[in-house]
Amino acid sequence: MNESISNLWSIPLFIIIPILTAIALNIMYNRKKAISVTAVASSFALVVISALSPFGFHWFTGHPAVLPTGGYTYRADLLGWRLSLEYYYGPLQQIAIFLASLLLLFVVMISIKSLKKNIGPYISLLFLTFMSSAIVIMVNDFYHMWIGVEIGSLIVAGVVLASGEAVSQKAALKYTFFSALSGAGLAIALALILGVTGYSNISDAIKAMPLSNGSLASILYVAFGFTVLSWVYAGGLAPIHPLKADVYGASFPHATVLLQAQSKLMLVAIGLLLLRVFGTLPFAKEVMLSISVLTMMLGVVMAMLQTDFRWTLAYLIVSHSGLVTLGISLGTVQGIIGGLFQAINDVVYMSVLLLACEGVYYFGRGTSIKSVSGIAKRAPWLAIAAILGAFAASGVPPFNGFQSEIILIQASLNYGMPELAIVVLMVSVTTFIALFKGIYNIFLRPDDALNNNEKTGTPVPKILYACLAALIFITVLFGVYPQLAINFLTEAALKVVYIPWVP
Amino acid sequence: MIEINLQLLCFMAAALLVVIGLGGMLFLDNIIKKIIAFTLLSDGVNLALVTLGYVEGGIVSILEPGTSAGAFPENAVLIFGPGIVLTNIVIGVSTTAVLVAVTMVLYRRYGTLKASKVLKGERK
Repeated sequence: MNESISNLWSIPLFIIIPILTAIALNIMYNRKKAISVTAVASSFALVVISALSPFGFHWFTGHPAVLPTGGYTYRADLLGWRLSLEYYYGPLQQIAIFLASLLLLFVVMISIKSLKKNIGPYISLLFLTFMSSAIVIMVNDFYHMWIGVEIGSLIVAGVVLASGEAVSQKAALKYTFFSALSGAGLAIALALILGVTGYSNISDAIKAMPLSNGSLASILYVAFGFTVLSWVYAGGLAPIHPLKADVYGASFPHATVLLQAQSKLMLVAIGLLLLRVFGTLPFAKEVMLSISVLTMMLGVVMAMLQTDFRWTLAYLIVSHSGLVTLGISLGTVQGIIGGLFQAINDVVYMSVLLLACEGVYYFGRGTSIKSVSGIAKRAPWLAIAAILGAFAASGVPPFNGFQSEIILIQASLNYGMPELAIVVLMVSVTTFIALFKGIYNIFLRPDDALNNNEKTGTPVPKILYACLAALIFITVLFGVYPQLAINFLTEAALKVVYIPWVP
Repeated sequence: MIEINLQLLCFMAAALLVVIGLGGMLFLDNIIKKIIAFTLLSDGVNLALVTLGYVEGGIVSILEPGTSAGAFPENAVLIFGPGIVLTNIVIGVSTTAVLVAVTMVLYRRYGTLKASKVLKGERK
């Protein structure tokens, strides 16, 4: 354990900086220069804080764990009652928040370049998206977990609406209605756990869990059901995957970069919560595994059927969420490491593909594979980025997707379920086919209009290429040297399996 | 034999509100009615949360001078429920505001409040 022995200074900053920046940007509204300076400085500060912060706790009711013998302890592994609204910043949180803040910085810079009006309110929503992700990944109490998921859902609706198309308005309406349902479900789960254990702090609730009491265990099953509902909703898992795909497909591609990162972090946070709190209930892991497999299969099949590259990516993001949850649902150390590593990798390579898709928009003919072609001739670097992103997403070495998928396959085999390994392989192959169908048509297919020297659209901004280069570098780095990321994830996996009450 | 007391009645009322709200959200076609159904659902959850902390003849959960320290844990009501309700009310209002705003935008575009028509993209 490397925790500091007082309230950690950096944890409140991950919440306060995005909120203050969002308020400031809203006030600035359309003053582009002031907005650019404030937003870039704030997001850069978040990157630096997440990289430099030590590990530790922040207790919102002011004290660390209370020992049964009286007095306090700062050691997380000792048996003590925490009795507080608690946040934890450890290695998993560090790599997750560092990546999220880096993506926020990229998305903010691209938004400033590409949007013409209402920039302030739009970028403030992006900051709040980051904030909700940070809350959910750091929190160790049900109460703040519920608030994080609720706030995140409302912000997603705002980000989707910002694209201003009819399809985005309909997606926002459907998504908000379901957020109301799943939010109410999570509140009921919180109430049931509170009623059964008397604690809101997750560590305390796990220690007080009355698994041997038959009548109370049945209440826990209901609480598990409602928590799974919110997991399915927040991560866009089957059977409500079309809702999340609508959200991804209807947003600006650069906004989807942040939305999918938020979604993956919520999947990880709620998935680990489910394992820690309900992992010992019979059938809990089986339910989670079934949802994962269904999500993977339905996602790739839907991705194959799309004729718009943006929607292909939307369904592939959903499908790859199933890979993340598969690893977590196995509940073994190797499986959890694989799931967490897949979440990190997925966020990175999907961002490459989404930003390449954003680049296609600058040619002014949308992203449908029927209406746009020959982009490689006009923007060869964009085509190379898209192809490298597709290799990473399909699990081709030496990219990061290969490393996490191989861990997932090994974890499935070691768990005694080779059929899960086959599903992972099938998802990889189908992802390759779906992506290259789009990439061939959009980037590589000869273009009649281009041959006639007809030029449409505007030049792709240099900042987009810079962001793509940085993300591809991370993709290759984690592919060649996976231990760099795995070192951050091992502690979280070991804790969930062996000492689940420790955050 | 289940003893009928105030807490049980409140839980039953909460369940009824949740079922009515859920039914309305799933089966009513008018978007405004769906939003009203959502507020009923939210109220049901709030009632369940408040009822959870109810203790018959209970005392306020503040240890005041003169209160017996031994009797306090048994008689004090659970304060977390009302705390969560306050948050849930704020979240409910925010969600309703977003829903109403989106509904207004969609009504201007399609001229109807019927969810079936709006989602198919048909005008009135």
